Amino acid sequence: MSIYINSIAHISIQEPMSENWFHSPIMYRENYVRSIEPDYSAFIPMMTARRMGLVMKRAIATALKTIRETGIENPDAIITGTGLGCIENTEKFLIAMIENNEELLPPTAFMQSTHNTIGSQIAVFLKCNGYNSTYSHRGTSFDSALFDAVMQFELEKISSALINSHDEMTPNYFKLLSKLNYWKEGEISEEVLRDGKSKGSFSSEASVSFMLENSKSKNTICELKGMEMMYEPDIEQIEVCLNKILRRNNLNINNINAVVVGVSGDKDNDDIYTELLSSILPQKPVVWYKHIFGESYSASGLGMYVAATILKKGILPKHLLYSKTCTDASTPQNILVYNHFQNKDHSLVLLSSCNN
Amino acid sequence: MRNIFVTGMGIITSLGIGKDRTLQALQQKKSSIGAMKYLQTTHNNFPVGEVQLSTDEMGDFLNVPDGTYTRTALLGRIALKEALQESEINEKRPKRLALISGTTVGGMDKSEIFYNDFLSGDKHTEYIETHDCGATTDLISKEYQGKFDVITTISTACSSAANAVILGANLIKTGRVDAAIVGGSECLSKFHLNGFKTLMILDSEHNKPFDRNRNGLNLGEGAAFIVIESEESVNERNVNPICKLSGYANTCDAFHQTATSPNGEGAFLAMEKAIQESGLKKSDIDYINAHGTGTDNNDLTEGIAIMRVFGDKIPPVSSIKSFTGHTTSAAGSVESVISILALKHNFIPVNLNFTEQIEELSFKPATEMIPNKDLKHVITNSFGFGGNDSSCIFSQIDLS
Repeated sequence: MSIYINSIAHISIQEPMSENWFHSPIMYRENYVRSIEPDYSAFIPMMTARRMGLVMKRAIATALKTIRETGIENPDAIITGTGLGCIENTEKFLIAMIENNEELLPPTAFMQSTHNTIGSQIAVFLKCNGYNSTYSHRGTSFDSALFDAVMQFELEKISSALINSHDEMTPNYFKLLSKLNYWKEGEISEEVLRDGKSKGSFSSEASVSFMLENSKSKNTICELKGMEMMYEPDIEQIEVCLNKILRRNNLNINNINAVVVGVSGDKDNDDIYTELLSSILPQKPVVWYKHIFGESYSASGLGMYVAATILKKGILPKHLLYSKTCTDASTPQNILVYNHFQNKDHSLVLLSSCNN
Repeated sequence: MRNIFVTGMGIITSLGIGKDRTLQALQQKKSSIGAMKYLQTTHNNFPVGEVQLSTDEMGDFLNVPDGTYTRTALLGRIALKEALQESEINEKRPKRLALISGTTVGGMDKSEIFYNDFLSGDKHTEYIETHDCGATTDLISKEYQGKFDVITTISTACSSAANAVILGANLIKTGRVDAAIVGGSECLSKFHLNGFKTLMILDSEHNKPFDRNRNGLNLGEGAAFIVIESEESVNERNVNPICKLSGYANTCDAFHQTATSPNGEGAFLAMEKAIQESGLKKSDIDYINAHGTGTDNNDLTEGIAIMRVFGDKIPPVSSIKSFTGHTTSAAGSVESVISILALKHNFIPVNLNFTEQIEELSFKPATEMIPNKDLKHVITNSFGFGGNDSSCIFSQIDLS
């Protein structure tokens, strides 16, 4: 059983549906940046788009792009991750309910408020009766969706899956999370984030869709060789888990050419990565992505996208390197994507190049 | 398929705390739907299936320290506590254990009260961090003193808990864990009540599933968890399995966000595929625990789907939402527990408040309890907004 990533599409704070970030990323100084919207008319009829919330439009557009690129119009599974779901509609309904004292509420915002609106509306759009589920587990929502798919590939229940993750950040929710020190105050820069001595990161949005299949195509981006999730593991458990993934693929730790991590500039978050890297993956080139894509509950999906893009292009651009000292950044073959949320939920994904 | 056993269950709904109270109410045909007592809303004329404890009383019941707890999390902890006890997990820990929980409103019971404080002041801001679904599962997990190996949260509206069962089973089948505690939790909230009200699907009287004159649903609340476990782990821990999870399927109706397709395609596929996976014949199914919300749309299309699957040999069908109301994200596991109780105690739970058959359907729901019926296999349906449809089959353990 093999799993291939055959197409990826993103809408984020980098140029949407584009790989321009790979060579010339847009750098931000604000602590709250919203996604750059593409021209949706290429994906959604104007009248339909008008009735959709932002997160929904992004989900449909990224899903359709992966479908057009692979020709898989009816994936066996559509699995969605979202930390906050359709938070714009949720807030709209909530605020109306409070302000109007529970009277004269329009149904639309409520109908489109549930987290599974995203995944099920993609299915409605595609007329896809296959497996359909939604994970809402904070910063590992995407990871959970992917994990579900990986297991179903292993059990040979599916041969294709659209895995996607979406989070929008409304001004109100940004404000709420500010009170919990999720975001840095003052000007953001690569140096401030790399410094990692204070709380918080910078807030962004993320929408990313992957088409996974059990067979290679002419556009295959890379292979997904294994994935595991853990809850509150210690470093030894993570090492055991990593070795299990490697052994299953007849690889060892020396075969890992780079590690993509979710360092975000938040001290508590970053310390966990640094500790793990120094104890079990020393000397490996460390790649980060949140300095150009920002932080959101769906950010880890962009982490896997970054790793896959490096493998496809066969180079690791300097601006993605988190580690200052880097011994080996030549054509990467195997990349480990490691993500954790608040040191509770951890995930490991191993991707390998298909260029040979 | 590799055998997956159920080794413990926990439940809390308006019927009461625990399996015993639940069983008693089902067998005595005593609905717990009634007037609102705890939820503060201007629409308090709607009957609901409300757990008869205030949120503080739930905290006291669990003896949790004063702190940041939402009603959904406390309901979940109460159900988890019972499931842990029956499965003897605290005494004999499985090697690797997962917790998969479903919810949609999460911490909304606090957010809807404190939202303006969140925005404008510094009061109650601790409840910001408990708002989302994942945070709810984190809070529920604290009931267990040991360590979970995997935790995640599913949010597919009213089929969330059923999809938790499915993910847990796949975790076991792929050998990632030996046991999984799966289910869901959801409290009543103003948000949900008003939301369902705007959709005009709330019955102002007691809900009447599968009745020609049905008039909508009553909201309920609750939580339930079941412990599912590999055969190897059951043997290793030397615990008594209650029944077997013999099949499951998740499909999507792919028709409309809040309406179902006229021929119940998603529901049809969910039941068909679950039966197919179990390797059973359709005639082996002894009882259908229907989603049966009491809305025009659901009961008609679920009924049509049942007719399409079972033809002219339809086993007894009932919706227990006439007892508990619609427990939304928890419904999948609440009704799994009830289906397993039916299997274990050999009775068909009745469908209350039924008088007249739906014209388009060829069957009436079960209104007589039929005790001592030899139940071997039961199927339970959970359907959510957006057509997220799932079915699970539980079976007696074949001792031969």
